[in-house]
Amino acid sequence: TMVLLLLLLLATAHGLDKLEYIPVLASSNLGGLTTTSTFVLQQPRCVFEGRASADIWLVVAIPDAIHDFNNSLGPGTPERAFQEFPTKAPAYMTLNTTILNYPCPKPPGEITVLRVGSETSCAKDKLRPTCNGPLPSPGPYRVKFLALEGSEPVAETRWSMPITLRTARQPSSIPETGNRHSAGMIALTTILSILFAILLAALLAMLVFGSSDACGGSSTFSKPEAVSVRRYNTHHVYDQPAARL
Amino acid sequence: MAKSADCIHILQGLLVFGNVIIGMCGIALTAECIFFVSDPHGLYPLLEATENDDIYAAAWIGIFVGFALFALSILGIIGIIKSSRTLLLVYIILMLITYAFEMASCITAATHRDFLTPNLFLKQMLERYQKAEPDNNNDEGMTEGVTKTWDKLMLQKQCCGVHGPSDWQEYMSAFRLTHSDADYPWPRNCCVMDANASPLNLDGCKLGVQGYYHSNGCYDVISGPMNTHSWGVAWFGFAILCWTFCVLLGTMFYWSRIDY
Repeated sequence: TMVLLLLLLLATAHGLDKLEYIPVLASSNLGGLTTTSTFVLQQPRCVFEGRASADIWLVVAIPDAIHDFNNSLGPGTPERAFQEFPTKAPAYMTLNTTILNYPCPKPPGEITVLRVGSETSCAKDKLRPTCNGPLPSPGPYRVKFLALEGSEPVAETRWSMPITLRTARQPSSIPETGNRHSAGMIALTTILSILFAILLAALLAMLVFGSSDACGGSSTFSKPEAVSVRRYNTHHVYDQPAARL
Repeated sequence: MAKSADCIHILQGLLVFGNVIIGMCGIALTAECIFFVSDPHGLYPLLEATENDDIYAAAWIGIFVGFALFALSILGIIGIIKSSRTLLLVYIILMLITYAFEMASCITAATHRDFLTPNLFLKQMLERYQKAEPDNNNDEGMTEGVTKTWDKLMLQKQCCGVHGPSDWQEYMSAFRLTHSDADYPWPRNCCVMDANASPLNLDGCKLGVQGYYHSNGCYDVISGPMNTHSWGVAWFGFAILCWTFCVLLGTMFYWSRIDY
């Protein structure tokens, strides 16, 4: 019975708890949910219960690496170093923390997220293999959380759906479709051109016909100084005969 | 004769009134164009960098046309009151020349406004904002102008990018070459700043949390003043020209009726 009990203890101690939780991206009203080299995950709150002494790590892997993924390869090894990802290391482990940082339940109104790829200072530092460095390519990537006690994996979540990051296009691909003329501009140009043409025609008509008397007719008027007032001086005529008498 | 004298007096009165209006509109046009040329919104560097700043040229022409209209309207009033054929002929010829210039200004303003699309400013922003190595002196001047204008715009008008901060993610840019995506998903000025001109919450800004970064685009802030500018020059000029058309036709008729 003692041997049986010991065996039972050993079995539970070395068992890997497979949790049903699937890591997801944070809520979509974050503007920087996925950028070209980072993405934002929801924190795994209320997922790892009763593992007060475990370190919870985030594993980021390329999709091909998840089929025969070896949980025993520890975070410091070259096969799990961020700097060798994704060529020599098909996955890397980062963002380790204890469950104290993921208290349950989540307080309402708080933004509880994990930004993957935010540490740029250690991205090239081989002495920091657990660096949370920016991702080198748009992906896709799959992530899971792994709880380690010492170096023993004790619990893991499911792998997430593939996460693809944004790809940036070149500015030269922006079409410059700015040559459509608006209706207002066409109307303005047309009307002004017509008016100008009419004015030039009127000027021509004025110069050709206006100077001659042909069209002058009876409605021409004279300048004010040229108008003379004829006055009849009737007294002068009557005075003359009176003088002769 | 009395009736036609009355008609002539009425025509004279109308033409004098028409010229008074032209004079006042000329002054108004000059004032309006001086206001636009003074660039109160500080957007001229953006236009200069597009190498298509003809709406400013239209405003400059408008300044001088306005003065010319004012001076010619005075000449016209004197000519009509004195009924002098030479004065009025000079007036008509000069007015036609001014008319042609103002027409050019209106059409230029209206046409070049159509070139100012969001994509134009987007491309310019991506290619020039914080460009590290300019090609030559001219390029350097334009780059500095664009960078300063965008920094000021984003800070003062609380906006980011042309359509939004996602412009910086969707496209490669000169800014991206010198600032890594993880540290600067968008320029720092897109963050909401506190009183000391530093970001209120840098992590919140990088994550894109509402309230810590400016999520709306700057295109409205850019195109609003430019539209006002172009339409102000183009359509006010158009109105003046329509009125001047009538006055000129009246003056030509009056001139042809003066008897020597």
